[in-house]
Amino acid sequence: MTSRSKWALVPSFFAIAIAATILSAYSGASSSQGVSPVQPIKFPHPVHVKTLGMNCLYCHNSANKSTDPGLPAVGTCMGCHTLIGPNRPAVDGQPARTSEEIKKLQTFAPIGQPDKWKAIPWVRIHKLPEYVRFPHMRHVNAGVTCQSCHGPVQDMAQVSQASSLNMGWCLTCHVNGYQLSEGLKPAGDTAGAAAAAAVEPKKARYDCAVCHY
Amino acid sequence: MSHTAEPNGVKRRQFLKVLGAAGAATTAVGCTNEKVESLIPYLTSPDNTVPGVSTLYTTTCRECATSCGIIAEVRDGRAIKLEGNADHPVNQGALCAKGQSALQGLYNPDRYRGPMVREGGKLVPTTWDKAIDTLVAKLGESRGAAANALFVTGPDSGSFAGFLDGWLGAYGFGAHTQYDPSADLAVESANRAAYGVSMPRLDFAAAKLVISIGADFLDGWGASVPQQLSFADARGRLADGPRVVYIGARRSLTGLNADTWVSCTPGSEEAIASALLTAVGGSGGTIAAAAQASGVTEATLQSIADELRGAATSLVLSGVSTPNAGAVAATCAAINKAKGSVGVTVKPAEAHSGFGGAVGVGGMQEIVDRANAGTLKIAFFRGANPAYDTPKAMGFAAALAKVPFKVSFSSYPDETADLCDLVLPDDHALESWGDAQAAPGVIALQQPVMERIFDTRATADVLIMAAQKDAALASRFAQKTYRDVLVAKYGSGALTAALPKGVISGTIAARTATTTAATAGAMGGTGDFFLVTYPHATLGVGEGANKPWLQELPDPVSKIVWQSWVEIHPMTASRLGIHAGDHVTVTTAAGAITAPAWPYLGIRPDTVAVALGQGHTKYGRYAEGIGVNALDALGATWNAGGGLALTQGKATVAKAAQRSDLVTLEGSARQHGRGIAQAITVADLVAGVKEEHHALPGDASHEFLPGLRSPVANDAQGDLGDPTSKDKGMYDPNHWSGMAKRRWAMTIDLSRCTGCSACVTACYAENNIPTVGARWQGRSLRPFHTSDGAGWDTRPGANILKGREMSWLRIERYFEGGEDGASDFEARFVPMMCQHCGNAPCEPVCPVYATYHAPDGLNVQVYNRCVGTRYCSNGCPYKVRYFNWHGYGESARRQYAFPEPLHLQLNPDVTVRGKGVMEKCTFCVQRIREAENRAKLEQRELQPDEFTTACAQACPSRAIVFGDAADENWSVAKMVNNDRGYHVFNELNTFTAVVYLKKVNHTAPGAAAAAAPAAANGGAH
Repeated sequence: MTSRSKWALVPSFFAIAIAATILSAYSGASSSQGVSPVQPIKFPHPVHVKTLGMNCLYCHNSANKSTDPGLPAVGTCMGCHTLIGPNRPAVDGQPARTSEEIKKLQTFAPIGQPDKWKAIPWVRIHKLPEYVRFPHMRHVNAGVTCQSCHGPVQDMAQVSQASSLNMGWCLTCHVNGYQLSEGLKPAGDTAGAAAAAAVEPKKARYDCAVCHY
Repeated sequence: MSHTAEPNGVKRRQFLKVLGAAGAATTAVGCTNEKVESLIPYLTSPDNTVPGVSTLYTTTCRECATSCGIIAEVRDGRAIKLEGNADHPVNQGALCAKGQSALQGLYNPDRYRGPMVREGGKLVPTTWDKAIDTLVAKLGESRGAAANALFVTGPDSGSFAGFLDGWLGAYGFGAHTQYDPSADLAVESANRAAYGVSMPRLDFAAAKLVISIGADFLDGWGASVPQQLSFADARGRLADGPRVVYIGARRSLTGLNADTWVSCTPGSEEAIASALLTAVGGSGGTIAAAAQASGVTEATLQSIADELRGAATSLVLSGVSTPNAGAVAATCAAINKAKGSVGVTVKPAEAHSGFGGAVGVGGMQEIVDRANAGTLKIAFFRGANPAYDTPKAMGFAAALAKVPFKVSFSSYPDETADLCDLVLPDDHALESWGDAQAAPGVIALQQPVMERIFDTRATADVLIMAAQKDAALASRFAQKTYRDVLVAKYGSGALTAALPKGVISGTIAARTATTTAATAGAMGGTGDFFLVTYPHATLGVGEGANKPWLQELPDPVSKIVWQSWVEIHPMTASRLGIHAGDHVTVTTAAGAITAPAWPYLGIRPDTVAVALGQGHTKYGRYAEGIGVNALDALGATWNAGGGLALTQGKATVAKAAQRSDLVTLEGSARQHGRGIAQAITVADLVAGVKEEHHALPGDASHEFLPGLRSPVANDAQGDLGDPTSKDKGMYDPNHWSGMAKRRWAMTIDLSRCTGCSACVTACYAENNIPTVGARWQGRSLRPFHTSDGAGWDTRPGANILKGREMSWLRIERYFEGGEDGASDFEARFVPMMCQHCGNAPCEPVCPVYATYHAPDGLNVQVYNRCVGTRYCSNGCPYKVRYFNWHGYGESARRQYAFPEPLHLQLNPDVTVRGKGVMEKCTFCVQRIREAENRAKLEQRELQPDEFTTACAQACPSRAIVFGDAADENWSVAKMVNNDRGYHVFNELNTFTAVVYLKKVNHTAPGAAAAAAPAAANGGAH
């Protein structure tokens, strides 16, 4: 490589850097949108939500009363999985089956030995920066569906971050209003969405100090 | 509106976008700061808790003998804030700075993390099993003889005292000794003789005249918070309130709150009190003799005597620290009796019951004597640190070395624990069970508010464990834990029912201190100056020194932090060629101390004063290497109650070679005509006199209308300020969000504020404010010219010396009058925080809109927008914006302000600010949002006075009122229209949201109003 061509690399590096920065700044790529980490137990949301019809609030039970949505205690899992063990017999026309994941759960929480229970180190997916206050209960009680922000969790075998969680994304609803029909779609409620088409969009305060303090 | 005037130009915002993109390009591309974080769930959900919602527990503050009721706010298992319990009979919701700081005792990074035993001359960690086995073995060796053991605890009016004596008795040991070096034993014993109780309740509001002879009832003397509540209520009566006279050689915080200061020779208080007794019909001395002894003119003393004689109701208090304190206290009690004050202003029937059971420094002489005699085999210390807080002349440490086995139950390393052979660290009061006699017939309950942080054990539980290892004693301790002891005492049902209230009715057998009657010493010494020492208003006699909040809390009088200082009269200082900061050596027969000088008008020219509390050698990272211990200059001289005389006589004063800059948060002690702290005399108040400037530029009722206030303010709001714009967005009071309907505002009543600074510590606790003055936190401005050569400025308070303090709320203290150094002067206190201007000078100068005016009246600082230009701080006329010069919130940095486990105290509702960010008072916006969220959750509107800010909540003077000034149902909306109201720097058109109500001065009867110190309004305009 000649010395001339070596010097030519410097400005081209800067050009690439500037282009990449501008692209990333305006594409939302700086967020963790799309990340889908492997969890210590492959908790199947679809089975619990769609097959069994459980409400989100059964496990995330403070989402409608606290800023913190709440993560189910190990005891909440074991409320059912003490009886629903890893080995399922052939019933209802379904074949017999062994669940490796329920086995894992019961290694964290041996039945009948609560003093040996260990916490399950779930990997965090949705995280807002520490200078943001996000009160879950205000959103849930305003009728915002969980799926509006978290995506169709009921269909996710492994949960991923559906939205960018960038401030611009927040403000789309806070300024223009939250359209209930749009929120019901990812929840899989097409009939509800159609019925809610005429519902007035619901706006929210967008002053900085509502969330940043 | 310059940018609207040039439609074709580049707008500021667009320009910054471009600038920002270019700036970002120069940094690394494509990096991510996403860290993999775990979410750890509960194993089983605790009952009645919701993640992210605080649980409140009532308990009792054990930082002093007063036993105030507190409510601990616990979030997800961590205590994050202490507040006074509004339903508690003692403190009615208020809490002092010491009480607030109990959290920093709980989370102190230097706490013992488990039991320690001395091996090879050093304390090394051990296990509880081994530690208790060692204790049991040593108890076995020394049991059976009462004289073999001595158990010293801090003051404790609860059941623990009786329990402990029972335990000691089981081993054949004598009763324990309670030790409280800050107790005023001379006054307590005189009170017992005169009124039958150690500390009667004082009703300042019932008095028309209060004379304090050295009784510093606002500096921590006696039952601090209830006294302050009563005093503020008395002053809140304005013209009907009492006039206050302070007699003493040094003007303390209490003295600064008095209307008149009579500066008398130390030791002459007895003659003055005696003359006052004669004046009210008793048999005492003469005015002439008092004048002769005290150096006060006969005319002054005569006018006070006349005033006292003529006062309908009066309260005369003694709290002098000279050897003759007992005689002064007895004389003052006789005056109160002669004036018929008992039951009116002095209320023995409502006594503070936590006092009277403790001995003072004199009681430690007993240990020294017994240890030196070789009879003491085993010594125990819990909540007491006599190796630090006894004068060196007593030889405590040397005597203790002669005791074969010493056990400490201290939670923290301290000077006494450092001499012990076994350390069995106690749980913090917030982690353990207990009770205390708060008032006659009222027992305050103490319960653990969270799980213990370290491997510590409650002392009572350790004692039970030890006894149960002894076959002969096990049967006497039926209950396995001290909790069970309390349950058995009160009954399970009654205790469960009482805990939410924090009090239960009942009486715990009172102890009377078992000190041998002391012979009062006499003033002595040689030299040209009297030396006065006094307990520091917040550090006490040293127990508070390991808490960074208290170290960084300016002394209410001197405003000095992280330092010892010698108070010396300015005229004396100039005569000796001493300037502020020059080191001064004070020498007595007992020893010498050297500290920087602080010239102070409030001290006699023939006296110097030094605060106690600093100069620790083994008390953790925040206390060690700070200042000097003034006890080093004191000898073993007692007053009649067996307390240490803190003023013992004469000393020599000499200028030393070195100097240190004073670490002070004070800008100037004078107002220079700025009218920051304004006052009005009673005569003017009654006559309805208003200063002309009060009417400028608009009256308060107009200023607190909702929405934007002035055309200049609009500038900060960009296009919203365009007069032709129809869309004012959320700033329109009729906007759908309703935000602009509210105008958050505050009033501060200077007639109530005493300058105690409890609000400051409450603010630190609530808002995650870092302390910045520790010895390792200062970067040198000239990196390679420091003593350590590595770029660190290791002076205590180095950041503060550079003006880089962080206190969102400060108490400014101004002097009025007395410029000649001879006449009396007046002090005024002004709590100063962000004024949340409607037309804020900080807003238009911010290039990135990081600070702006919110529709609900807040001046907002958006940390994530801030780029740290500091233009706003330049623009702020109130100097209330603070910059993060270092990464105080980053655990990897040396300047980290929350070393583990102090970070557990951080309020999760408030951002921990990063390096390079400006911050300031937010009006506790997190509390506003929390209240709004709660109201919304309960489907209702905010109720008037539903919540308040941390400073207003803590204030033991009830001087601060916060709320929505645009809604007449809030208290603050009425307060802003008070005739005494004014805005600081009104003339700057800042339209502040903080209204100060003028201080009310009670001038001496007969004195012409014009003769009052300076102009009443602080010489404004």
